[in-house]
Amino acid sequence: MSRFEAKKPSLCKSEPLTSERVRATLSVLKGIVTSCYGPLGRLKQLHNGLGGSVCTTSQSSALLANLSVTHPILKILTTSMQNHVSCFSDCGLFTAILCCNLIENAQRIGLTPSTVIKLNKHLLRLCISYLKSEACGCRIPVDFSSTQILLCLVRSILTSKPASMLTRKEIDHISTLILRAFLLTIPENTEDHIILGESIIVPLKGQRVIDSTVLPGILIEMSEVQLMKGLPVKKSDSLKVALFCASLSGDLSDTGEGTVVVSYGVSLENAVLDQLLNLGRQLVSDHVDLVMCQKVIHPSLKQFLSMHRVIAIDRVGVALMEPLSKVTGSQPVGSLGSISPSSYGSVKDLCTAKFGFKHFFHLIPNEATVCSLLLCNRNDTAWDELKLTLKEPCVLLGGGCTETHLAAYIRHKTCNEPESILKDEGCNQTELHLITEAFCSALESLAASLEHDGGEILTDMKYGHFWSLQADSPSIVNWPDLLSRCGCGLYNSQEELSWSFLRSTCHPFAPQTFLPHEAAGSANYLTLDCFTAKLNGLQVAVETANLILDLSYVIEDKN
Amino acid sequence: MAGPVSVKAALEVAEVLETIVSGCVGPEGRQVLCTKPTGEVLLSRDGGRLLQVLHLEHPIARMMVACVSSHLRKTGDGAKTFVIFLCHLLRGLHAVTDKRKDSLISENIQTHGRHWKNCCQWKFISQALVTFQTQVLDYVMDQYLSRHFLSIFSSSTKERTLCRNSLELLLEAYFCGRVGRNNHNFISQLMCDYFFKCMACESGFEEVFELVDDCFVELNVGVTGLPVSDSRIMAGLVLHRDFSVYCPADGDIRTVIVTETIQPAFSTSGSEFILNSEAQFQASQFWIMERTKAMMKYLESQNVKLLLSSVKQPDLVIFCARLKGISVVECLSSGEVSLIQRVIGLSPFVLPQASSQFEISNTALVKFCKPLVLRAKRYVHLGLISTCSFIPHCLVLCGPVQGLVEQHKDALYGAFKMLRQLFKDLDLNYVTQASDQNYTSSPLIYKNSRESNQLPEVVNGSIQSPHQGTIVKNRDELAKTQTYLKVYSNLVVPSVELETRILCSTPKVTPTDTYQTDETLRCFSPNKTGIIDNHESFTESNSANSTTENTRIEISYENLQVTKTAGKGSMLPVRYKSLEICTSQSYCFSSIPAGCVLPVGGNFEILLHYYLLNYAKICQQSEETMVSMIIANALLGIPKILYKSKKGNYSFPQIYLKALHALQTSQPMVSSQTGLESVVGKYQLLTSVLQCLTKILTIDLVINIKRQPQEIYDQDSEEEL
Repeated sequence: MSRFEAKKPSLCKSEPLTSERVRATLSVLKGIVTSCYGPLGRLKQLHNGLGGSVCTTSQSSALLANLSVTHPILKILTTSMQNHVSCFSDCGLFTAILCCNLIENAQRIGLTPSTVIKLNKHLLRLCISYLKSEACGCRIPVDFSSTQILLCLVRSILTSKPASMLTRKEIDHISTLILRAFLLTIPENTEDHIILGESIIVPLKGQRVIDSTVLPGILIEMSEVQLMKGLPVKKSDSLKVALFCASLSGDLSDTGEGTVVVSYGVSLENAVLDQLLNLGRQLVSDHVDLVMCQKVIHPSLKQFLSMHRVIAIDRVGVALMEPLSKVTGSQPVGSLGSISPSSYGSVKDLCTAKFGFKHFFHLIPNEATVCSLLLCNRNDTAWDELKLTLKEPCVLLGGGCTETHLAAYIRHKTCNEPESILKDEGCNQTELHLITEAFCSALESLAASLEHDGGEILTDMKYGHFWSLQADSPSIVNWPDLLSRCGCGLYNSQEELSWSFLRSTCHPFAPQTFLPHEAAGSANYLTLDCFTAKLNGLQVAVETANLILDLSYVIEDKN
Repeated sequence: MAGPVSVKAALEVAEVLETIVSGCVGPEGRQVLCTKPTGEVLLSRDGGRLLQVLHLEHPIARMMVACVSSHLRKTGDGAKTFVIFLCHLLRGLHAVTDKRKDSLISENIQTHGRHWKNCCQWKFISQALVTFQTQVLDYVMDQYLSRHFLSIFSSSTKERTLCRNSLELLLEAYFCGRVGRNNHNFISQLMCDYFFKCMACESGFEEVFELVDDCFVELNVGVTGLPVSDSRIMAGLVLHRDFSVYCPADGDIRTVIVTETIQPAFSTSGSEFILNSEAQFQASQFWIMERTKAMMKYLESQNVKLLLSSVKQPDLVIFCARLKGISVVECLSSGEVSLIQRVIGLSPFVLPQASSQFEISNTALVKFCKPLVLRAKRYVHLGLISTCSFIPHCLVLCGPVQGLVEQHKDALYGAFKMLRQLFKDLDLNYVTQASDQNYTSSPLIYKNSRESNQLPEVVNGSIQSPHQGTIVKNRDELAKTQTYLKVYSNLVVPSVELETRILCSTPKVTPTDTYQTDETLRCFSPNKTGIIDNHESFTESNSANSTTENTRIEISYENLQVTKTAGKGSMLPVRYKSLEICTSQSYCFSSIPAGCVLPVGGNFEILLHYYLLNYAKICQQSEETMVSMIIANALLGIPKILYKSKKGNYSFPQIYLKALHALQTSQPMVSSQTGLESVVGKYQLLTSVLQCLTKILTIDLVINIKRQPQEIYDQDSEEEL
């Protein structure tokens, strides 16, 4: 009998955001995420103080997953960010910082939460419709006929992960590899909708980054025993493959719910083994060269196959089944009965390869969209990014330029056309002004957190882009000489611009919309962000901030 | 612990709960974050859930929570209002007994208060409450309040059709109290769209509600990590699992459902399988394999392309399905199976036991079946072809965190519950007995529809006179035929066309009679055809009645007219009670008809408050007066909270005074808010609170025991049975 225990009453706290403790923890969290942001972000070392592995990272996914937050409000914040990251695997820090900034700014202005929430939502709508509109000045359409922009995108992502400790040359190398692997997965003869092939990332530790390569086909790790046996002689120009998803270990299948009575002297194991060997005989007579099994192959069957010069690879695992079936064109076999000839497939060649200390079988396909990316330092976020870009083929300017541009746009919009907002939302001019200021400064300080070395942030009065000024610059000099390029690298300082400090109070101006088409092609080293991920990040950040601002009570179940 | 103490204790408890709950009430209410011991976080504005997660210890508090949750099970709405109303009632009762607060209470109540204090008989008060609930409340609802009701249906015909505009208003008001303020518009719009998309025909909405209410879990998918605005409605059904085998197919796809494994097992439960030799084992394995293959082949020959299974199928079946090009979805939950069965009318395929003859009669077609990827998770998307009035659609609910998605799910589920209640007629306890005395004392009750009555006084007067005239005539006739006529509602507005519907079993009309009355009527209002029509039918029915003597004849009038509500300019039909003519010994059970709504913003409370006060004035018995007064005053607590943040003209005192003025001068009440709420819900809430209060009052002692109280079995009666 189970023991019942009385439930303890819950703890109920009102107005959680006003408590000093919550503010303090929020600002600590903000400090952590802010200092990680961007290519110059500082790394964090996570350890539990009791030994065990130490994690050094500046990535939001690793950081947020490992931080143990206790306060419910922070928990909401971090789960929200984690959910976003697990969807888009990018813009996690962006979202987290923006959310913290919004909450902090909203508290500072001290208006009622309902007004703040209403207007925040309205401003978010403005942002989204602007970013999605044709007039948007910080969006570049992706041209798949040239790899320029894609390469920039991958490079920007890799650059923003300082924990991977890559040199510039290594980043270039990896970016090219990732892009090549990605392009390999796009089938050649495209129909209405593209079904992407697969790229299997094989991580390899202890090797130089430069040694990473992309190989067509599949790599399967090889055991020592198999290495000894060597490869069979190739009989024709391709190898016949049989792929099994059923276990070939000779175990008994499920016998149902009733009882099975076995008479003395009857060995079911022998019966099953007989069956297996029959199967082996069929494989040999069908001239199969390679047998692969998702599960275990019985040693006797293995022995039998190798006697007949058939290679047997078992324990392939379910993850590789789909790509294997694609590469070889074979149907995974699920029964021990006779095999229909149509389920056999083929590969062009099979060879062994040695990378580092590991030996691999390398299946070389006739033609397929499957490839293996042998990564010596694992980084697959760039991968998801490329996939997302394929879905919505445009990218946003990175390097803080989108944020400052957006802030300038919103400021200008609410200053010049406040009537419609005031009418829709039922608030007054002062409230609108205060909240717009809070919203825009949240965006701007997000951009400003890219700077970690005490430099100044400037913005130009024409495009509203982000310019960073090195620390300890002489105060009275010609600015165009000090600033070379803006954050995203689209504009350079020589074109008659005027600047102002980002956090100074400047009067609103209309940033230039409609990005020139040739702008995309002109610059070689643009910093770019994934459009879908950033848009979602923006939405999630504002929604989460609104959610947290709306809390009036926290009830903690103490059981 | 004596009675009065328990009221005081209950009041203290209720006040604590009120402070928590009142923060979430109404459109200005805020969110509450609940954390579970497992680390999950949940956002909620649902009063019932908040009370539950508090894990209250106080025995009275636990009783209140139990009452609230039983109320919620019934109606799905009103937990917060429950607590606030209960608190105000207790406060009122407490004030009556507390001498120190004498200055605040009117003279009348004071003396009663002392009386109650002296008697110290809480039992009587609780009995008075019960009497109030069963007699007075229903009487007031039926006689006074019903004239203010609006209807959610858009036309007068027997087939009730839903008015989209009013449904939107109703849902918006509901979600205002249940989800975060930046989402309620979106969610209510989503729900409205969903409902109208699912509805195959205008009249079948009840079936839709029933089905959605029963299978709500299967009809929605939660996705975290995306903004709420990405939520959408998808045509078809989304199953919460991936294909085991997916073979793309075009066109209509033939489907079967199985509830057992297709591959026969060695032995079924309860049987024994004896193996005597290895050959026998191999032979039986071979047989199983062949049989499975044959079965799959048969499915293929019947052009079956999709196999839905409620159990896990063996590898061999999956393998064969892949070979035969049959898509397989395994491990469907019983809820999903029953939903599919209900929607496409497909019953599971029963496997033949021994014979090699297969016969599939149960197949159905689906429009498409394809994998659906939502945020890296794979689902099965089925385009079911519905055979009932529900067209399957799925709700994809997005949110940055799981807690928010859950909140929206709960709110949507509650909304369906609320609507289901709304579309039921609710019978009241109140019985009108048509008798002589009754009749003379109140010859005719005029029901002025609210808001529609923006007519000048003169017109009103001119309407009244013909009515009285007919009544005199009617009475003369009735006196002769010994029948009694009870008129509930009879409003005529000349400028609006009236639809009159007469259901009369034997319309034997004496021509002379009709003509006579017709003439007299014309004298009163020669140019108002609407009225004449109306009274023609009146006289018709009377004469019919006189000829058929004691049989009961009902003439139902559904006079409908279109009125404008003050706020949004939406069109709402005003519902009138049907006119009933009964013979002397019959009783009329009154009821709240389905689909009755009132504008939000404390309209119901202020109206009931007003009529209860009026009732209390003419009431003879002292305890009835007192109970009515307490309840009337407690009702105001809810609008007080709703208007707490409003200033100036929209503050509570202003609204209240305006409403009272409007009621006294029979002018339409102007509501500052758009949105509607269900009358049935409010009524049920009121009765639940009163029941809870009765319960609290009848307890005089709380005994603390160490173990769980044992359930009481009546063994004797069981044995007898």
